[in-house]
Amino acid sequence: MKADIDATVSYPHPVSRVWEALTSSEALAAWLMPNEGEGGVGRYDRVGHRFTLRSRPAPGFDGIVRCEVLEVEPPRRMVWSWAGGNIDTTVTWTLDQTSDGGTRLRMHQVGFHGLGAQLTRRILAGGYPRILGRRLPAYLDQADGQAAPADCAQGWRSYLGIFRRWR
Amino acid sequence: MAERPGRPSKIQTKGDNGAGAAPADRFAALADSTRRHLLEQVAVRDRAVSELLADLHISQAAVSQHLRVLREAGLVTARKEGRHRYYQLRPAALTELRDWLDELERFWQARLAALGDYLREAPG
Repeated sequence: MKADIDATVSYPHPVSRVWEALTSSEALAAWLMPNEGEGGVGRYDRVGHRFTLRSRPAPGFDGIVRCEVLEVEPPRRMVWSWAGGNIDTTVTWTLDQTSDGGTRLRMHQVGFHGLGAQLTRRILAGGYPRILGRRLPAYLDQADGQAAPADCAQGWRSYLGIFRRWR
Repeated sequence: MAERPGRPSKIQTKGDNGAGAAPADRFAALADSTRRHLLEQVAVRDRAVSELLADLHISQAAVSQHLRVLREAGLVTARKEGRHRYYQLRPAALTELRDWLDELERFWQARLAALGDYLREAPG
């Protein structure tokens, strides 16, 4: 089971410009989330710089994502810690110049501690038919089972509601 | 999140059966390698506590604590049969984790699109 988030996007703008947008507090507020640097710094481009991304609190989540610059190689690579709402992850930004002078930006968030390949393999090899054949219908038949998807939806919405606001 | 073998830290969840636990709580529950191991065992087939205890070198109390965290996070359910307590995988939790990650991925795609708008519109 996949347990990380990986997204790559190309922009027609030069690497230096994209780097600026990733490291400036003001720019991050414009496209990512409102944020505040520890000690009032307006740029997050040195190892040890800490900042918080702020959004609406939700049950089990105080609305704050705490970040720290863990690694930085301007203007090619930067790693942030990204913690909040009971998850503790890292976000790695990688910038590459494209042949036409633009930028290919990769965002890689890891640390969700998902289920290993071993579990996935076992489920596929042995448990899965049983799950689908017996447990899943049984689960769906249960009254509380029917309620679960709504709870689940609420679960991630309460966490991601934070992000939705800024969409 | 630091891996902490042995006694698990307590994880806040909403109810004892864990069906309403937030996906983030499930990931927190999976942050421990012992719990991931237990879940893998339970995924193969339903397991009695004694069986789970057999291939781990930790106390029964510690295993019970780990199972409790998994249960409260909604990853497993327990049932009693005679003197034994059996643990089984709660498959819906896996789907929910995947859905949650998919949603997070959509969040990032939307933000990266917003970065494109910013680059196009902001002076510089």
